[in-house]
Amino acid sequence: MWKFIVRRLIITLPQLLLLSLLVFFMASLMPGDAFTSQIDPSLSQDAIEEQRERLGLNDPWYQQYGRWVSGVAEGDFGTSTAHYRPVTDLIWERMINTIWLSLLSVIFIYAIGIPLGIISGRWNDRLVDQIITGYTYLGFATPIFIFALVVLFFFGFTLGWFPTGGSVASGLEPGSFEYIVSKLHHLLLPALSIALIGVVGTVQYLRSEIIDTKQKDFIITARAKGAPESRVYNRHIFRNSVLPIAAFFGYEITMLITGSVFVEQIFSYPGMGNLFIESILIRDFPVVTAVVLLFGLAAILGALLSDIILSIVDPRIRIK
Amino acid sequence: MSKSITGKLFFVLMLALFLVLAACGGDDEGNEEAGGGSEEGSEESEGSEGGEEDSEGSSEEETDPEDKIYDIENFPNQTSNEEDPIDGGHLNFGLVSDTVFEGTLQYNFYSGDPDSQILQFIDEAMLGMDTDHTYNNEGPATFEANEEEGSITFEIKDGVNWHDGEPVTAEDWVYSYEVIGHPDYTGVRYGTVGFTLIEGMEEYHNGEADEISGIEIHDEKSFTINYERLTPSLTSGGIWTYAMPKHVFEDIPVADMAESDPVRENPIGMGPFKVDSIVPGESVELTANEDYWDGEPNLDGVTVKVVNPNVVAQELETGGVDVVDAFPADQYPENSNMENVEWLGDVAGSYSYIGFKLGDWNAEENRVNYKPDEMKMGDVELRRAMWYAVDNNGVGENFYNGLRWNATTLITPWHENFHDESIETPTYDADEANRILDEAGYEDTNGDGMRETPDGEELTINFASMSGGESAEPIANYYMQQWEQVGLDVQLVDGRLLEFNQFYDRVGQTGEDDPAIDIYAGAWSVGSDVDPTGLYGPTQIFNFPRYESEENTELLEDGISEEAFDQEYRKEVYSDWQELMVEEIPVFPTLYRSEIYPANERVTNYDITRYAIEWQDVGVTQEEPVTAE
Repeated sequence: MWKFIVRRLIITLPQLLLLSLLVFFMASLMPGDAFTSQIDPSLSQDAIEEQRERLGLNDPWYQQYGRWVSGVAEGDFGTSTAHYRPVTDLIWERMINTIWLSLLSVIFIYAIGIPLGIISGRWNDRLVDQIITGYTYLGFATPIFIFALVVLFFFGFTLGWFPTGGSVASGLEPGSFEYIVSKLHHLLLPALSIALIGVVGTVQYLRSEIIDTKQKDFIITARAKGAPESRVYNRHIFRNSVLPIAAFFGYEITMLITGSVFVEQIFSYPGMGNLFIESILIRDFPVVTAVVLLFGLAAILGALLSDIILSIVDPRIRIK
Repeated sequence: MSKSITGKLFFVLMLALFLVLAACGGDDEGNEEAGGGSEEGSEESEGSEGGEEDSEGSSEEETDPEDKIYDIENFPNQTSNEEDPIDGGHLNFGLVSDTVFEGTLQYNFYSGDPDSQILQFIDEAMLGMDTDHTYNNEGPATFEANEEEGSITFEIKDGVNWHDGEPVTAEDWVYSYEVIGHPDYTGVRYGTVGFTLIEGMEEYHNGEADEISGIEIHDEKSFTINYERLTPSLTSGGIWTYAMPKHVFEDIPVADMAESDPVRENPIGMGPFKVDSIVPGESVELTANEDYWDGEPNLDGVTVKVVNPNVVAQELETGGVDVVDAFPADQYPENSNMENVEWLGDVAGSYSYIGFKLGDWNAEENRVNYKPDEMKMGDVELRRAMWYAVDNNGVGENFYNGLRWNATTLITPWHENFHDESIETPTYDADEANRILDEAGYEDTNGDGMRETPDGEELTINFASMSGGESAEPIANYYMQQWEQVGLDVQLVDGRLLEFNQFYDRVGQTGEDDPAIDIYAGAWSVGSDVDPTGLYGPTQIFNFPRYESEENTELLEDGISEEAFDQEYRKEVYSDWQELMVEEIPVFPTLYRSEIYPANERVTNYDITRYAIEWQDVGVTQEEPVTAE
């Protein structure tokens, strides 16, 4: 197992290097650079050219790449051209926001998804199951950006129960009780939007697994031995049905970091998804490259985590 | 049995739900189309994604405001609420943007417009500005120009202090010049006449001198700048008027200043409001600066927060924000009935235009290479006919409800002293366009319904137009149809609209003009100085048409000569220039624009003339914002 993990981690490095090379190359093909948006006759073109020169934007992309790689090797991801600050600081600031949002969404997804899945699987084809399944179909069919907008307008504007943008109210002392409450208040609506749509997969997986497991021989054996129904469900069926969900957990962790572009945009929530889109639009390449790398890393580690979890919860699967 | 009935019932329910959802979807689309896009073509606002304006809808009552035509002249500049402001009022300012603000809160380093919207509260130009865009002596400092010696002497008034209580000194102001001119400076402000004309500036900028020889500090409050020559551009926006607290920045290397604490976390200025706290990228909490030189502000505090353009109307309606920095004009018609908001408006300093490529860029000599004889659009009669062929008022009314309207000359009414209304410019007249084309020899010789060149060759004009906003595409098509009606075959470059970055790359912002482009639709926002050299001068890369003529160069130089300190003379020069542009038509302006500023009814003393708001005067007349019923 350890061997496996180490091996996977070793492959990660060249993967990331390749990814960064690709990103850099493709970025060089994109029209415009960080100063294109400064098309403003009241600025001097010479001064802007000087800044381009200073940042090395006029060099061929492989030279820029070389500089960038040697910087990264020393832990320096460069400076954002739009924000005039180290990329790592910028990403860190946004990542915290995204992690909170995703964490809450994941909690909601499990808190809603697991009970619904169990109920739906246990009483399959009854009215309650049909309602739940109906909800999951609706959830599958509703695009998250429409749903989030509706939620925002109804709960945010019409009812006024929730703030309609940002991650925290202004003017609060960071770390104070009000600050934390305000953060949570700002998180609830976007997290719920993500969860209510994102949960449908979990419910469906769990439901079909439970229905499947219900008919297995060992369940019949358990029943024949006189195990009470609650025990049959909680111990025997649930445990065996939760496998695909557990396997999915690694990917959920990926989402913790990558965030949700749509929801962050709609709720003006300054997280990673928003940072990614913004940096592309304003051609802030140092940020774009770092963010893509981070997303790549998250995806690779998430997949690895999934494999590890799977091997732990399901002894039949052995990683060699 | 019962199971299958519930199943069927459920199916019916689902179907019904589906239909309801589909109906909603249809509605939304309708509104989106009617909404139109404000962002077409403007340099500042591109890159945003336009969409998601769906949920605005549902306001199709009464006269259908979406069909009404508005006139910017009918909008007041000032809120009508004349009650006295209450003590301890708090204003919510919406920063309309679909991205975060960058947080470079220092005039010498900021580059994005959102940051400047925050800066207007915390810092201030040392010189005041008249509505005709020239400096006056009503700001925190006064100036006196000495035309014989080519110098300007500045004197800072007493009682002008930084937020930390330290007085603003001559040294602080000069420090700005030393920082911006410094070889390690990381911002974009250097290089304009306000710097390059200063004696000894170049040596300092190249690192050959330790100080700027042309600047003499007399005492704590006054200093003189010696310029190589004086130009009216200096006194209409060219002088760098922002001071920088030297005692705060002194120990920070210039290269690191932009990311330093006094720029990002604890910005310091001398404006009417102090920074209390910042949530990076989202909001800033400001409190009144009681020590403000021009008297204590009426408000106790201001919250500046970023508001997404998609929800700005709702924020206004629910009182979430009292005023905003810019309201998307395309959302105005459907929101014009909002009860709790008063709508102010003003002419904007920007125009849309159609440009003709008349040459390319000579990178070696750093100037335009004007060669009309080799270019498809080289014939001025063809260009004139194309101007006559388009109905700009039609575009303004159909797509912008009159909030943009037919433009005449290249100096907008925003510069009211220089905009010459008396100049006759081509306006929509298809017959005239046809007549001009016939006379110039553009005739249909092969019977395909389209005109050929005088040499009998097929004429296809390639048109570059920018994407962004809902109306970008219909407007481009509208223009192409109008040209088609006078027999000109105009096609979109690549058959589609170009994204902002690509558009400017190909039109030539790096000097590599794409020869596939014959004409293009662009827009400019102009600065406080009326001088158009930056856009039409022969050595300017932004001279995208690559146009040059002796007369043009001469007029542009006259406009910034010492003689032009005489307003009447300068006015005459620019009248001649506007006239020349109508004759030569390297570009023709299509639409002038306006800005709409909503204000909650509790806001008083809010005057948006030329968007030079005196924030210390603004107040509110009740504790809570007025909300719509």
